This record gives sequence, C-alpha cells and structure tokens, in this order.
Amino acid sequence: MDIFEIYLPVAGMHFNVLLLLLIGFTVGVCGGFFGIGGAWIVTPALNIFGFPMAYAIGTDLAHMGGKSIVSTMRHGKFGNVDVRLGVSMIIGTTIGMEAGAQLVMWLERLGLAEDYIRKAYVVFLALIGSYVLYDYISHTRQQKALEAAGKPADPGALTLAQKLQRLRIPPMIHFKASGITCSLWLPILVGFTTGIVASVLGVGGGFIRMPALVYLIGCPTLVAVGTDLFEVMITGAYGAFTFGAKGRVELIAAMWMLGGATIGAQLGTVAVKYVRGYFIRLLFAVTIFIACASVLLKQLDLNMASSVTILVAGIGISLVIVGLLVRGIVQERAARRSGATQVEA
Amino acid sequence: MRQHSKKVSWTAGRLASGWFWGPLLTAWAVAGEAIAAGGGKPVTKLVNVVDTRNMSPGFVRWVADVYNTNLWLYGLLVVGIMAGMGIFFGSVFDRLIAMLGINLGKLDHHE
Repeated sequence: MDIFEIYLPVAGMHFNVLLLLLIGFTVGVCGGFFGIGGAWIVTPALNIFGFPMAYAIGTDLAHMGGKSIVSTMRHGKFGNVDVRLGVSMIIGTTIGMEAGAQLVMWLERLGLAEDYIRKAYVVFLALIGSYVLYDYISHTRQQKALEAAGKPADPGALTLAQKLQRLRIPPMIHFKASGITCSLWLPILVGFTTGIVASVLGVGGGFIRMPALVYLIGCPTLVAVGTDLFEVMITGAYGAFTFGAKGRVELIAAMWMLGGATIGAQLGTVAVKYVRGYFIRLLFAVTIFIACASVLLKQLDLNMASSVTILVAGIGISLVIVGLLVRGIVQERAARRSGATQVEA
Repeated sequence: MRQHSKKVSWTAGRLASGWFWGPLLTAWAVAGEAIAAGGGKPVTKLVNVVDTRNMSPGFVRWVADVYNTNLWLYGLLVVGIMAGMGIFFGSVFDRLIAMLGINLGKLDHHE
C-alpha cells in the first residue's frame, strides 16, 4: 500500500491517497444528494486516520467549495438552484452567524458554553431527524389512504411554510425556481435563525438550512437541495480563502479529496432525478439520526467509535444513493427502449 | 407632477426588478461573509513552516514554497485551484454522465 502513500507538505505527514479519494467520494455523493457540505463526515474521518485536527477543518472547507461548484452546476442545469433565494438566505445567515458567535462568547463568560452546546447539538439533531421522519411517515400514510379510497392526492392543510408565505411584509419577492412568492424578510429571518444555530453548534449549517428551506420557506425538496449547495459553495469558497490565509489548509490533500468528490458529487446529484422528494427526506432523516448517534458517542468520550460510526454510515448511505442512481438509469434506458414515456422512481 | 410620478414609477420598477436586487444582494452577501468570518473567537496562532530541504522540484515543492513565502497568496491559490478543479472536473464528468444516455434536462420538482 506504500505506493499509494503521498507526502502532504503542510501537514508534514504521509497519507494514503486512496483514503482521501474514498472520503471525498463519500462526501461528494451525500453532498450532491442532500445539499449539505458534509464537514461532520470529513473532519472525524480525516482525524481517525491521523490527519492533524488543526488542518482538517480548513482542508475540508477548501475541498467543500470545489465540490459544491460541481453539484451546483449540475443542480443548476436541473433547474434546482434558486439564486435569488440563496443570496437572500446568505444575507440572514451571515448576520446570524455573527450573532451566534457573540452568544457563544457570552455563554463562555458564564462558564456554560461547553455544557449547553454539547447537549444542544444532540437535542437539535434528534429534533430535526424526528420531525423529518414524522413528516415522511404521515405524508406516506395519508397518500396511501387516499389511493386506497380512490381519491386524488390531497395537498393537505396549510403547512407552516404556506402560512409564513402569506405574511405580507414588503418587499414581496417572487422566487422563480422555487415557485413561491413571499416577503424577502422570510428567507432573511430563516437564514438568520439557521446562522445562529450553526454558529452556536460550530457547524457549517447545511443540514439545518436544507430542512429550513423545505419546512419554513416551502421550497420543493429538490430546489432546497440545489439552493443549499449554492450557499455551501459560497461559504466554502470564503472558508477556503480565510483558512488558507491562516495556513490551515493542506492543499495537496484537498486536491485529492476533490478528485474523489467531483465524481461522487455528479453521481449524488444525478441520483435526485430518480428519487421522489419525500424519499430524499427519509434518507436525510436516517443520516441525521446516525450523525446524532456519532455526536453522542463523542460526548461519552468514545471518539474512535464516534468516528468509525460516521465514516461507515457515510459510506453505507453513499452506496444506497449510488444504487438508486444505477436502478434509475437502468429503468430509464429500459423505458426508452420499450417506448414508454414515463419513468417512476 | 406627471414627470415626478413617471420618475417614481421608473424608480419603483427598478427597485422591484431583479437587476437591482441581484447585484446589491450579492455584494451584501460577499461583504457579509467577510464580516461574519471576522467575528467570533480569534484562531489561536500556530506557526507552521514546511520543511522543503529534502523535497524535489515539482508542483508540491512549489505549493510548499508559496505557503512559506506568502500566506495570503496561498489562500488565493487554494481558492483558485479548488474553483478551477471544480469547474473543470464538473464539466468533464457532466459530459461523461451524458454519454450514459440519461436525459439531463430540467427536472419536475416531484415530491
């Protein structure tokens, strides 16, 4: 395996290039499919194999920016990126992240930061995963009941997002790709809230913004995925520069990870074509629960178990996504050969 | 009065138009990222110098030299290489995926 060892000059160590490609590929698939950055997979995965923590975050941000360009380009061609909505969210997110940082410093002065933030992280992940899972189950049951009764699909009662869209606070903006019209303040405030949460928890926030786009703004799932990746792209690009200028990026490692991530990102992004929005939400809930378990293990000082859990789960989920892609391609080509006009996921 | 109301209508039209909000919001977003990243706890200083004494000439040696010489340039190099690789490989794999015969046009946003 020595032939696959490369020298990383900034980190000052040798590292297996196949591991870098694998980590990049895994995060690329998950990122392109769910619209997340994947730092919570990359950082422990790098650390478990001896990569210095001081460089793990910066290196991850650097490769995340490049990987997100790939996914955003593809999602853009699919019509899944709402640039106007993404920019509106970023305005709120940047202010929210600064507010969150100030909140963390205040909690630190009170000596409460460590305790509260660690518990808040687990609780928050559990809440997001539970709500997304509950939403999937209740939607599926409702649709099955309607099908059994022979009734047409029912959009159901007004969702929270639809109620929020009805708030008439000018300026009212039409977000074309999402197909919604709402006050500009809605995405700004949602971005602000997610920014605070991300900053307090010390995460990038992709896994918070994606469900927020769906449940608070009312984006279709695919547009939420694409738009979130657009935001991750901008965050990643800035993170790459600021950590690079602080000397915290191992560029050679980032390049190899990006090599694997570009392949994974294409596969994960194209896979959304063959999956219904609610199934993406189901897989997202499963991923969040696994991340929650990993964070819980870390807080019990079982660091190795925590890192192994998240890495194995990431590889498993990316294999499921690639499986869905292969199945979808086979079905599409078979349908085209038989002259059928529709492909069901 | 009529000229004033025309001016108001033109201004209102521009304010409602994406061409006004797009660049403004983008500039705000980029500036905002800089402000947000500058806030919070400062990163603890960790001085690192790459040992290039036994490194042979090549791309890795050049990256190490840039790192040792100018970190701002290194930061720009990181962004440039990551963006360039992302765009290049994104385009290449886009074409490779298309060769599988998949329809890669706009999707229906089916839930």
